[in-house]
Amino acid sequence: MGYSTLLFLHVTSAFTMVTAAGLFLAIALAQRSDRHSATALRLAPVAAILWPIGSLLAIVFGVWLALHDSQYSLGDGWIIAAIVLWAVGGAIGGRLGAGYRKMTSGGGPDPAALAMNLALVITLLVILIDMIYKPGAS
Amino acid sequence: MTVLLVRPDSWNLPLLLHVGGAMALVASVTVAAVALIQGWRTDNPSAASLKRFGARTLLYAAIPSYFVMRIAAQWILSKEGLDNSNAAWIGDGFMAADVGFVLLVIAAIVANMAVRRDPDSGLGKLAKVGASLSVVLIALYVFAVWAMTTKPS
Repeated sequence: MGYSTLLFLHVTSAFTMVTAAGLFLAIALAQRSDRHSATALRLAPVAAILWPIGSLLAIVFGVWLALHDSQYSLGDGWIIAAIVLWAVGGAIGGRLGAGYRKMTSGGGPDPAALAMNLALVITLLVILIDMIYKPGAS
Repeated sequence: MTVLLVRPDSWNLPLLLHVGGAMALVASVTVAAVALIQGWRTDNPSAASLKRFGARTLLYAAIPSYFVMRIAAQWILSKEGLDNSNAAWIGDGFMAADVGFVLLVIAAIVANMAVRRDPDSGLGKLAKVGASLSVVLIALYVFAVWAMTTKPS
């Protein structure tokens, strides 16, 4: 696969991750009102599918891109930072998805959901900044 | 083909806003589409709530995100000196953005009209049009991402 195709697949996967995070955030915001909380959970199954697919493909195609192009190395600081942030985001998203799945089957809301959503948004934003600015890249 | 991997620092902020705005746009249109389609698939009272949620997401999240994406696109284009370029990928990007904006505005208007006309019932014809347009928009945005990343000549 060529550089452009890998970049397209990597970026599309990243868009999928952000879309899943948007769904998580929408559910969390709707949970603040009793009127909308049950309704918002209907978004959870789609988020629970998009998050793992998007995050898995983003790292696979991201690492592939780094290996494919001689100007990149997996040892570059900005790539290591992105992988660490991806792992942090993956853990937060995984916990959010599991929490919402539990709620759809009758469990109570996670009191930390809104804070975790905020942490996920910040993590994704820092990853995006890292990807665009590529600190330390020559 | 030569690929520019590290761009000048002055391009980074407009590119960050362009890509960030595009991500927020795709995420909010998808949230609206999922809410409207879930509302379409159910007859229970939650359909009205999903319809309202989808309509408001288009109006208050998708449209502002579009402006961030589009204004930053013009900024980065100017930074790169491509304002008058005839490159196919730039034309594709403009087409996706401009056609997409018309569809986005129509989707937001019809979905919000549906909420106004009948706030307590299911989707109705107007909101179904909004749901369908949201799905078309997602397909258009995938095409735009393809054009922006592969830059076909």
